[in-house]
Amino acid sequence: MTELTGTITALTAGIRLRGGRRLYRAVLYTLLGAGAAAMIFPFLWMLSTSFQSDGALLVPPPRLIPSPIETGNYAKIAEAFPLWRFLLNSVVVAVVSTVLQVATSAMAAYAFARLRFRGRDALFLLYIATLMIPLQVTIMPLFVEMRYLGFIDSYPGLVLPSIASAFGTFLLRQAFLGLPRELEEAAFMDGAGHVTVFRRIVLPLAMPALATFAIFAFMASWNSFLWPLIIVNSPDLMTLPVGLSNLQGRYATSWNLLMAGSTVAVLPILIVYAVGQKYVIRGVTLTGLKG
Amino acid sequence: MRSLSRALAAIAATAILAGACTGATTQPSATPGGASPSAASAAPASPAPSAQAEDVTLTYFTFSAAPDHLEDLDAIVQAFEQKHPNISIEVQTAAYADYFTKLQTQVAGGSAPDTFELNYENSVAYANSGALLDLTPLAAGDSDFDPSVYYPKAYEVFSADGKQFGVPEQFSDVVLFYNKDLFDAAGVAYPDASWTWTDEQAAAEQLTDKANGIWGHFQPIQFFEFYKVLAQNGGSFFNEDQTKSTFNDAKGVEAAEWLIGKLDKTMPSDAFGPDQDSALFKSGKLAMWHTGIWLFSALADAPFTWDISVEPGNVQKAHHFFANAVVASASTEHPAEAWAWLRFLTSSDEAVKVRLDASWELAAVADQSLFAPYLSQTPPENREAVFEALSDIVTPPVIEQQQQMQDIVTQALEKARLGQVSVPDALNEAATQVDALLQ
Repeated sequence: MTELTGTITALTAGIRLRGGRRLYRAVLYTLLGAGAAAMIFPFLWMLSTSFQSDGALLVPPPRLIPSPIETGNYAKIAEAFPLWRFLLNSVVVAVVSTVLQVATSAMAAYAFARLRFRGRDALFLLYIATLMIPLQVTIMPLFVEMRYLGFIDSYPGLVLPSIASAFGTFLLRQAFLGLPRELEEAAFMDGAGHVTVFRRIVLPLAMPALATFAIFAFMASWNSFLWPLIIVNSPDLMTLPVGLSNLQGRYATSWNLLMAGSTVAVLPILIVYAVGQKYVIRGVTLTGLKG
Repeated sequence: MRSLSRALAAIAATAILAGACTGATTQPSATPGGASPSAASAAPASPAPSAQAEDVTLTYFTFSAAPDHLEDLDAIVQAFEQKHPNISIEVQTAAYADYFTKLQTQVAGGSAPDTFELNYENSVAYANSGALLDLTPLAAGDSDFDPSVYYPKAYEVFSADGKQFGVPEQFSDVVLFYNKDLFDAAGVAYPDASWTWTDEQAAAEQLTDKANGIWGHFQPIQFFEFYKVLAQNGGSFFNEDQTKSTFNDAKGVEAAEWLIGKLDKTMPSDAFGPDQDSALFKSGKLAMWHTGIWLFSALADAPFTWDISVEPGNVQKAHHFFANAVVASASTEHPAEAWAWLRFLTSSDEAVKVRLDASWELAAVADQSLFAPYLSQTPPENREAVFEALSDIVTPPVIEQQQQMQDIVTQALEKARLGQVSVPDALNEAATQVDALLQ
């Protein structure tokens, strides 16, 4: 999005020079509007499909405004599937793994940013390198590990693999490095130890970065599909994406029901994002990271 | 920041608690000892379990139940548990698209479900890898079991090297669906068993009315359709000992051209998205449609009359035969109970009845009288065609790297469909790639 805005500003700068503030505005808003429409359209389509009746679905030509408007799809999925249970599981898993990830990443990041020990930078590089390994590669050993721990088909099995995050450690380390050392040195002079400095100085100062990472972590957990699919067997433990995937039949799929479920699944993310938006923007600026 | 440490402590406590809980719940199913030899020798299908029968939980992993047949499966499970009070069945479901990802991990990770479902195309690789329990001794030891309860071909395809590794659960085939109203309006005679490709094409030309958006016919263009039309054209996919592809010979090219040549003339070129052909037929804009009998229930309330016929062939007739089997994991601790469940699930009167009533594909049982209630349902009127089609079935070519082969052929056909390469070139390229898989 930032590149897009940049291009638009560059494009419109020329127009502005030739005068015509109104023209400039019109062009700017048209371009921004087109960008926004392209982003929003898939979501609109999802919303529209979730209100389609079985019969009207997929009848050519496709219609954005359903007629008749069918509101029963939401009740139908809630009835046919333990939708609230899926939602609860998703929330529990996302909240627990987010809190743990932020906690472990912040502590590791502090160590990598401020403590001096032998092989620190090599260790950090090695840790960051794990970002390059996709989940698909490690899923087998991870599964076997969970089997030995007896965590297959359980909440710990769902959450444990995602309580540490190389990405979070990297993000927060960069944020901590940017904090003024003088504040910490002053605290050390007053007799504070690393734990106090970490808790009372570094964490409060790095709040925007922590919030940014928390939102990234929450979204990643919320959208995670492969691991929950594999580790969980009983419907009682399924998260929303896994539960919803069961709505897909082998030969035909009730898209309207699937989209109603997806709408329910997207709402919490929208809320989290709306609440945390200002932190994300500040955090991204602070850490020099693009979203 | 004190609240942070408190929160952490609380979470740690929850995690430990949750761990303890799950540990407790999984214990019963992990009782040491497993299947005792005495349990194996007891007739597993007998309704009265022996006195020393221990409580056993079997897991059953399925792709065919969700989302539409969960309740039907429940009914079968309940009937089974009533007859075998010491066995309880724990059902696990996944969508077909994700099923094999999960199954593979579980099998390779040493935590395979006790019993599960496999379609024919994937069953060979699982059987060869040794992941499946050899059911032959269990079947032989089961005094009142007779394999002839199953449709013979369906039982046969799930054995290899003299070992029965699965029992057929259900099958379906593909027939020619047609919209009677469109045929009547155009004054064209309905399809019948004597039809060939030429008859279908002639009718399609009469039925196509592009001005009103009406198309003569639709037939998917992918691997599964291709090996069938290839058989209809007298060709074969591989040479005799399956060491080389032969689907790119003259017969193969002719078969692929039959699929692709209809595009934009009598067959719409924009209905290849998910469920789009279905939408087209349901909205009364498609006269003939090659598709599976699993769509009967979806078309039950179509606002026009429709029927089915066996598929037109070319030099010979050929019909799909899609079969699913249920199998037991080689690592199951309860082989005898697993066998009892597999047998009940596939051939008991209760299970067959539930499946038929729900139009949940067709139980693969040989006794045609069981199908009477199924055959009496309309539409379609000519339901017998479902069984007529079975007299000339072809099973898909199967190799170890099944999925890669299917993808190669489908992609080649797609390139040809979009006009990016000629049909012979596309097939030749695909044949080279498939041959590489055979090495």
